[in-house]
Amino acid sequence: MILDQLIWPLLLVFATLGGGVYLLAVLDGLAARSFGLPQAQSVWLLPLSRGAWLLSQQANVTEAPDWWGWRLAPALYLTLAAIGLALVPWSRDWVATDITTSLVLWGSVEALATVVIFLQGWSANTHLALIGAYRYVALGLSYILISMFVLIGVTLPAESLALTQVVASQQELWNVLRQPLGLPLFLIVGLSITFRGPFNLADSTDLAGGTSVEVSGPQRLVWEFARSAMLVAFSGIATTAFLGGWLGPWLPGPLWVMLKMLAVLAILAWLGRWFARITPERCISLMWLALLPLSFIDLIWAGVEALL
Amino acid sequence: MAVSWLSRLAARGPATVFPALGMQGEEAFYQLALHPEIELVDSPRHASLLLVAGGVPPELHEPLRRVHDQLPAPFTTLWYQSEPLLELQQAGVVRVDSLEALPDALVDAHRKVLRGELGVSPRLLVDEPPNPWRGLGDDGHGGEGMMGGVPYGRPMAMPPTQDLRDGLALDTLTFRLGPFFPLWPAGLEAEVILQGDIVQQFSVQSRPFPRAMSPVFFDAWEHAMSIARLERARVQYHLRALFHALHLAGLPDLAWRALRLAEACDRQTITALEKGFKDFERCLKRRGFFALHLPTCGTLNTEHAEALGGFAARAAGIEGDARRDDEGYRRLGFSAISQQAGDTQSRWRQRLAEVAQSLTLAARAQQNDAVTATTGVVETPRGVWRDERPGDASALLEKLLPGLEWGEALATIASLDVAGVSQWARP
Repeated sequence: MILDQLIWPLLLVFATLGGGVYLLAVLDGLAARSFGLPQAQSVWLLPLSRGAWLLSQQANVTEAPDWWGWRLAPALYLTLAAIGLALVPWSRDWVATDITTSLVLWGSVEALATVVIFLQGWSANTHLALIGAYRYVALGLSYILISMFVLIGVTLPAESLALTQVVASQQELWNVLRQPLGLPLFLIVGLSITFRGPFNLADSTDLAGGTSVEVSGPQRLVWEFARSAMLVAFSGIATTAFLGGWLGPWLPGPLWVMLKMLAVLAILAWLGRWFARITPERCISLMWLALLPLSFIDLIWAGVEALL
Repeated sequence: MAVSWLSRLAARGPATVFPALGMQGEEAFYQLALHPEIELVDSPRHASLLLVAGGVPPELHEPLRRVHDQLPAPFTTLWYQSEPLLELQQAGVVRVDSLEALPDALVDAHRKVLRGELGVSPRLLVDEPPNPWRGLGDDGHGGEGMMGGVPYGRPMAMPPTQDLRDGLALDTLTFRLGPFFPLWPAGLEAEVILQGDIVQQFSVQSRPFPRAMSPVFFDAWEHAMSIARLERARVQYHLRALFHALHLAGLPDLAWRALRLAEACDRQTITALEKGFKDFERCLKRRGFFALHLPTCGTLNTEHAEALGGFAARAAGIEGDARRDDEGYRRLGFSAISQQAGDTQSRWRQRLAEVAQSLTLAARAQQNDAVTATTGVVETPRGVWRDERPGDASALLEKLLPGLEWGEALATIASLDVAGVSQWARP
């Protein structure tokens, strides 16, 4: 009982967190190399030496920070990513947290991420970090709405809010084909919520690092780890909701999930490096005037398809 | 044992360097930005090494101390062509005067400081708020009631003032940045008042350091000079400026490519440079540098455009260019390029068009060994140099930036050259 419901699920989540974040760092290094950026060392070793460097550094202090908020924000973001990963089904029976409302829980993870990212920027009590926090809050709602609409779309054919049922409903046709707008929109949300590439407005270069401009040492390591872990969780949910999860011929289900997650992460790592960072004003317009209406169309499409 | 293993692993990574640029420190910056084992970072909190490159005037020693003390331990400092602060001279800091030796010295210092083989730089300031607590009230809000007050010397977020953009009034936030803020010209210090992320006020507190030009522009002012060399130096200048804009845009690989092209200007054939630049320009467009990142604001009015001169004026429709009056350039078929909008985006379009034009001119000039015909006047990349070199124009930022979002303001600063031209040529 304890082994099945506590130890194995925890081990599964921790292994996915550690392995997923490391592989994402490697994929990002490979993407950087493919764009012609020289690397100081092997892409396999670089994430480890960077982690060791941050662990050897002092965690600094700013003037009169909100101590609880500042120290807790990275850990809370990591916790949210872990909750998201716990929802990913690796096979019909191998799910860390198999609940009937797993998509609702994922929605709350996205919403709470806004609070945690704001906390990270606000509690340092410095100007550039605060601007990063403001920016995320200004944009976060549009990300969440798009995500919710496309995820409601995948629950319609499944007639369930459970991710295991969503996978089972893709037995004949994966949602990436059934609802072609869903996955691209969801991937954009993934880049936005983890503020990467063109949507990196919270931790951007124009803010010298934004919400993490004042953070160093182990605290920065946890923050960077959590951002990557959230993207890994995103890839897990994308795999489940749109790419048929464990479904696939020849290979065991968990291996299919892993391969699909890696493919999604590789696409996100490459997209993150391809585009220039969008300005906040253009981002707002893009989200509310283009992507949100597209997510409505996706939902209507899914509804009509479910009725037929 | 475990710590030693961790330190050794940490030491294998790239050297993370925060560059505090003094006068004539840019040359070192550009060399280091191309080095694969060195990572230049934008926040002192993200570095293990503080590099002070170039001379720092005594009045900026206090801000330098503040930057120094922000680096997390273990860290050390390196001084390139700069005199270490008095209190650090006894701490055995590394001083390097050779540009060739600098990258290796940084990598070596990074490894040694992480392995504990090099003394850690001592803290220079007392670890306490720079201003005393002067607030009132149980909650430490810092003033009388909920209004005003200066907790730790900083004004509190004040009640809303009129918003400059959309009428949504937010609390204002006042802070100072510079003179070692790496995302704008070295030496520039400003007091900024933001409302949300909109710049309400931008007050220049200290001007950027004068920028050193290539010696060919000094030579051209004094005597006839090869047009091919002049144009190659102009291309290099603009591509180096583009490095900063692309870094701001979150395109590190294109920034690196721009700088590599810039550094190849002296030695590569014009044909190779033209081909490389065409590919590069296509990439800029495809990857959203203009469509996603560059704002269509920061427009210079005629008065400011004329005061600034050079490419910035031409981007605003003012066709002044001293090369039109030079017989050597006329023989090569030179005619000035211009844009109309005068905003941030058109300044970059202008600069890129001028780079392409300079490469064409250099190719023609090389065939004919063309030289300049006029002395006592030269069109530098920063503007025309007749009796006086182009001077500092940072004051115009105070008029230009209010109303812009923070990212737009920084992109606008990167699109301009507000620093004056130094009396000393680049080494």
